[in-house]
Amino acid sequence: MLTPISLSKPGGNLKKSLKVTGVVAAAALAFAGLALAPASQAATPKVCLALDTGGIDDHSFNASAWAGAQTVKSLANVSYVVADANNPDYTGEVNSLVNNKCNLIIGVGFLITSAIDAAAVKNPTINFAQVDDPGLVNGKAIANLRGLTFATNQVGFLSGYLAAGYSKTGTVATYGGINIPPVTIYMDGFAKGAAYYAKINKKTIKVLGWDPADPKTGVFVGDFSSQNKALQITKNFEQQGADVVFPVAGGLELASAQEAAASKKSVVIGVDSDAYGLYPTALHGVWLNSALKGVGASVAAVIKDQAAGKFNNAAYVGTLANGGTGLAGYHDLAAKVPGSLQNAVRALGKAIATGTVSAN
Amino acid sequence: MRKPLLRSFSLRALILPALAFALSMFFGGLLIALSDSNVLHKASHPIAFIKAAGASAGNAYLALFQGAIFDPGLAKPHQWYLAFGPLSESLVGAAPLILAGLSVALAFRAGLFNIGAQGQFIFGAMAASYVGFHFHMPIGIHLVVAALAGTLLGSIWGGMVGLLKARTGAHEVIVTIMLNYIALYFLQWILGTTTFLIPGRNDPIAPPVLQSARLPLLAGSNFRLNAGILVAFAVAVFVWWLLNRTTIGFKFRAAGANTFASKTAGISVPFVMTSAMAVAGALAGLAGAVHVLGDNFQLTSGVAGNFGFDAITVALLGRAKPLGTVLASLLFGALGAGAAAMQAKTNTPIDIVLVIQALVVLFIAAPDVVKSIFRLKSLKTAGGLVSKGWNG
Repeated sequence: MLTPISLSKPGGNLKKSLKVTGVVAAAALAFAGLALAPASQAATPKVCLALDTGGIDDHSFNASAWAGAQTVKSLANVSYVVADANNPDYTGEVNSLVNNKCNLIIGVGFLITSAIDAAAVKNPTINFAQVDDPGLVNGKAIANLRGLTFATNQVGFLSGYLAAGYSKTGTVATYGGINIPPVTIYMDGFAKGAAYYAKINKKTIKVLGWDPADPKTGVFVGDFSSQNKALQITKNFEQQGADVVFPVAGGLELASAQEAAASKKSVVIGVDSDAYGLYPTALHGVWLNSALKGVGASVAAVIKDQAAGKFNNAAYVGTLANGGTGLAGYHDLAAKVPGSLQNAVRALGKAIATGTVSAN
Repeated sequence: MRKPLLRSFSLRALILPALAFALSMFFGGLLIALSDSNVLHKASHPIAFIKAAGASAGNAYLALFQGAIFDPGLAKPHQWYLAFGPLSESLVGAAPLILAGLSVALAFRAGLFNIGAQGQFIFGAMAASYVGFHFHMPIGIHLVVAALAGTLLGSIWGGMVGLLKARTGAHEVIVTIMLNYIALYFLQWILGTTTFLIPGRNDPIAPPVLQSARLPLLAGSNFRLNAGILVAFAVAVFVWWLLNRTTIGFKFRAAGANTFASKTAGISVPFVMTSAMAVAGALAGLAGAVHVLGDNFQLTSGVAGNFGFDAITVALLGRAKPLGTVLASLLFGALGAGAAAMQAKTNTPIDIVLVIQALVVLFIAAPDVVKSIFRLKSLKTAGGLVSKGWNG
């Protein structure tokens, strides 16, 4: 059934033979490469980050985690993999790191949790850490898995208080990426902080997008990548009178900021990292503040422990008190936020850190 | 004249895809080398540069191969077979893709462009998941019922498109694209309802399907390889049989070749459209069921990933033939599994694999480019797939 193919007819011209040579040379190069593979000598621990689909430049938790790992790269051989955005197969992603003989594998992104848990049970000789998870399997701690958690309801509480104090309309709003605990914990704090402001100052503040009493509802984009949907949600909030928006959806805060800059009807509180430095300068005037989450600090801490041979499974909890979470700063809007409000927010932060006021 | 199963897919048909793949690997290798900072630092020394480029691309492809087929580094004493773990991963990734690809391929043969495999996949996954976690049934029966539920729902979601086209003339491309969105947002909504929430949790992940509804593992608990791949192969044979050995299959192909002639010859074109889309939907629904019952177990809003669209690619690559679709899906499954390992071992961005996949399709779609590069004269490219115009 095979018909002959004239790959090289006799007396072929020079051009063709050059082409063929090129292909052969390329193939030879590829095989030469196999021999040149550097042998890895792992005196320092091999630390591998399993990132979610956003990758290291997502302006959010993946970026923070990678930045944190970079601060301790002298202690460990740090590398990362990113989940395939088209078909996120977290089990396959974590398995690829197990197969690559990593000593410490850090899952970044709540959705990776169950893959990390399963791998930790299966591979007792490898250490694991998981961001945004207490690190329990079926409710029990296991020796080689450490949870890295953040009391971001505390900074959410401050943000809600700040938003309520800054709002002229008395309406503030928040929305999330997906209805998962690391997102809703911020939104919980935000709604409660706004309510706390209303109670202290005897004002009526309306919070759109989230009601702590009814955690099944709430406004969510459904993912962390649909900028159009985030834009529409922000527009809807503005139409309902909201003049401060708190998007808890990673990089989707960009859509809210663009809407705020265009409509001049609202300001935005950034999430996870300081949004002021991440986006175009044209948006500088819309960031009221940013709610920080110290993913990087937690990742650096667990890598340090691993390098010192002191890995343990006691959950890391980032709080206002230990700097694991906090507000970034007012930047360009500092002059527009009344000094009394700034002082009140600062005092409230101290009160939460010392436990006088509860953010729960 | 009857053509045997294998000979109908002649070796000649493999030459073009193989050359297209080789070319894509070559350009992908260039891209890997040029995106590697170690290579770029040596740009001033041609020899060192070429060596570094070869090493960079070579290491990446070695890792790709090790992640897709065989990695001796994974073998443990007395457990040498662990080295085949990557092959298991490739097959696991290929199984749903084969089924979804067959869905698109079958519709192509009937002259219909099924862009809706994604939505049908979602409904299949949803139904299989619900039956899988909600009901308690004996082992075996549970699996069959869950898989059938997925197939049925996919079939309804697909058949609806055929019916709309047959009755109203609504173009299946538009309708399926729209139905994909409806399926996706329906899935997001239903994941938030109490029926699909895990008790005590609010995040949109359905409970895992019960053990009794899971596809049995084929190679022990060290591998994720499950019976899904066998289902996929069996269904591929079935689709071949359906298209080439049955009256209805003949009608599909006749309507696909020429609607007007078929009508004149007494074939009920509306019936063909509806039933072809129903079968295509069933295949994509089964793909979703196999994904949920075989390796994913939990329904999430991203459960369908990109399967429905990769399905179009593999069907095109396989020239809408069952065997071709199977081979293309195996290739894509291997590339997908290898990509993770390539990334882990050599820090090559996972997107390189997408570039290679896209280049393969590009070269397949433009056979003259491949033919002129390799100076192939006698290779006749068959008419191949003709996408129907807007009035098809």
